[in-house]
Amino acid sequence: MDKLVAQYSRPAHQNEFHSDPEQQDLDSGLPPLSLKFALPPVDNHASFLRAMTDDHSNPSCPIKLAHGTTTLAFRFQGGIIVCTDSRATAGNWIASQTVKKVIPVSRLSRGEDKPSKDPTPGLLGTMAGGAADCQYWLRYLSQQCTLHEIRHKRRITVAAASKILANLTYAYKGYGLSMGTMLAGVTPQEGPALYYIDSDGTRLPGNLFCVGSGQTFAYGVLDANYKYDLTEQEALDLGRRAILAAMHRDAYSGGFINCYHVTEAGWVHHGFDDMNPIFWKTKLDHGEFSNVTSEL
Amino acid sequence: MPGFDFSNYNRNAALHAKGVPLPKATSTGTTIVGCIYDKGVVIAADTRATVGPIVADKNCEKLHYIAPKIWCAGAGTAADTEFTTALISSNIELHSLSTGRDPRVITCMTMLKQHLFRYQGHIGAYLVVAGVDPTGVGLYTVHAHGSTDKLPYVTMGSGSLAAMSVFESTWQPDLDREGAISLCAEAIKAGIFNDLGSGSNVDVCVIEKDKPTQLLRNYEKPNPRGEKERNYRFPKGTTAWLNQRVISKEDMKKYVTIETLSGDGNLAVGEQMDVDV
Amino acid sequence: MTMLLNHASHGDGIGYSFAQPTAAPVQQHSFYPYTDNGGSTLGITGSDFAILAGDTRSTSGYNINSRMAPKVFKIGGDDETGEGAQIVLSVVGFAADGNALKERLDNIVKMYKYKHGKPMSVSACAQRLSTILYEKRFFPITYTRFWEGKGALYSYDPVGSYEREQCRAAGAASSLITPFLDNQVNFKNQYVPGSGEGHALEPKKAEPLSRSTAEGLVRDAFTSAVERHIEVGDYLQLVTITKDGIEEAFQPLKKD
Repeated sequence: MDKLVAQYSRPAHQNEFHSDPEQQDLDSGLPPLSLKFALPPVDNHASFLRAMTDDHSNPSCPIKLAHGTTTLAFRFQGGIIVCTDSRATAGNWIASQTVKKVIPVSRLSRGEDKPSKDPTPGLLGTMAGGAADCQYWLRYLSQQCTLHEIRHKRRITVAAASKILANLTYAYKGYGLSMGTMLAGVTPQEGPALYYIDSDGTRLPGNLFCVGSGQTFAYGVLDANYKYDLTEQEALDLGRRAILAAMHRDAYSGGFINCYHVTEAGWVHHGFDDMNPIFWKTKLDHGEFSNVTSEL
Repeated sequence: MPGFDFSNYNRNAALHAKGVPLPKATSTGTTIVGCIYDKGVVIAADTRATVGPIVADKNCEKLHYIAPKIWCAGAGTAADTEFTTALISSNIELHSLSTGRDPRVITCMTMLKQHLFRYQGHIGAYLVVAGVDPTGVGLYTVHAHGSTDKLPYVTMGSGSLAAMSVFESTWQPDLDREGAISLCAEAIKAGIFNDLGSGSNVDVCVIEKDKPTQLLRNYEKPNPRGEKERNYRFPKGTTAWLNQRVISKEDMKKYVTIETLSGDGNLAVGEQMDVDV
Repeated sequence: MTMLLNHASHGDGIGYSFAQPTAAPVQQHSFYPYTDNGGSTLGITGSDFAILAGDTRSTSGYNINSRMAPKVFKIGGDDETGEGAQIVLSVVGFAADGNALKERLDNIVKMYKYKHGKPMSVSACAQRLSTILYEKRFFPITYTRFWEGKGALYSYDPVGSYEREQCRAAGAASSLITPFLDNQVNFKNQYVPGSGEGHALEPKKAEPLSRSTAEGLVRDAFTSAVERHIEVGDYLQLVTITKDGIEEAFQPLKKD
């Protein structure tokens, strides 16, 4: 296995990114693709990292990283809906119930969420897999998007932004990164655009994605009820309901339901709400989740 | 068939090889000591039982009865020390009835070492055996693999080095009863404070010829619980519930016998428990 | 019986008195740079203060390395005493890595002040710490979680994922302290008695804590953790950050 990994992973990626003179031209003035990462003094760092951090193959690994998620995003007539849960787990331990798994990407919309009804311009990224990987590389992407905006005097397309990320993850293939990310945005060139990028280097455009340990549960609800012609309210409700289903059945998802709506003007935050009251409301008002008993 | 059941041994070995962790036994990562004096022998132990880094019992009893004048302090796997000493205690009793004499400490020690050697260390009992018999005072250590020692002062368990440092610096050959008790208590306290596996209180057992054996449970309590600053009583109705079912006493009487005990005083309480208030 | 004999003939059966090489689930590495020095830390923020507290015991295995090894550090002070600092950092896990990280962040915060003529904001410092940690993504250095405060509290995973929080427990006894904080700070699983029947029963609302309440909770969390975790004990270091500066206090804990 390690041999295979070694065979298909590139030992030095400086060349990957700077071999083409044109590429170098574009990148001049940029710092190198952050290659100052420390590496352990062993022959095979990929397997070292796996032995130390992968709690699936080694339950007693010394370093447990935050994992586990349900995230979803879909396109509809009114733009794009992005919904996530908020739980971070390290092994069987719930490390946090209040993670913000939707990360705004691009200069203008970066930073803390301001309680505003006005749309904030920019793209949205979602976070599944290693929390640090997603946070760091989406921030890096944000930097690149901002530079793009300054250089070209227009906002980056979702296609281009997603390609920056996919190239990046492909360059680090085999090093042990773990991320499953969706990029959502609406640009004049593309209209509403949604891409899935993961740490294997996959990059897929699409209408509807669910990512994370609870993805199957979310797909079940989403596929059953999804239509392109949903109204904005219906779309938000469907997103929340799909996340709720995943939180209910997947032990590694839970906490709060985080909801965003992306339009051409930018994204609007539609709440970070505790799942419990929503669950009971869904059960009592709509008669769903009848497997949960309550005589009250 | 009496004895151990090995039918799951191969299955467990295979599971462990696949990465399934073995179940953790409560171990008495422990300090136990013993010391002889002019007319008798003292053994002492701390009272902490741990599961990994978690304290499972803050006030457990590690001094085990074997015979009226033979007692045993146990370190290692808690279940093994308890069952091994109980087994040998029974055998000693039968042996004493069949011979019509008081049991000897060396007999007990030999039975223990033969039992433990047979199981090649898989029974994780590390013991200090002490007592007084017609031949005089006896003090031995028995390791899980079956080896034994006979010494005037002994220590065992994870805190044995800390405790031994006290013996090696302050032990004298002509100790009296009080001197031996306080020396043993000091040795246990060295273990309690300097070994993470040991903690809480000091238990002492004094065995002397022609005197009843004294078990001084919680002889010293050097680690009182810190005062709680806040009050954690929840008002009634704090917890929500989904379903409730009330079973009346009349309904219960269909299945079990119910006796009403008077609630005042300790009369109705079978055994008093240690609880934090 | 056949099974037992077969097993023994493979040479890894019923043991000799020596330690058995157990079949490892992963590849064994002789290079193992991680050590755990135990201990626990805890942070709570209120409306106008933040508390970072930690025990001062340093352990390795069943031994105590030191009874007075504080693990809450002042960052970016004017001199070696940390006077004038606005930020504190606490690290649990491997103490050597923790110290190295503290030194590094301290340098960065100081250099920032010299270069820009103003102190580094807490949010900038929080982000910088995240990047420092991520540099070791392929060689995660410090075993557990750290955080920092000045009215704000941030917590980190070993490779730099971070989040601003109201309270957080980390280290050896985090699994004992966290449920306590969930219940007593965020009032999880607590309802207002008599506020309604059935589903109308209202959850108890969390409010910003007063400083004395928060300090009481911190002390109770530690005296309780000491009772049940062997790696926590000796002294409690309580660092409170308010707009007026940093106050530091020590109080004894059980030493067994």
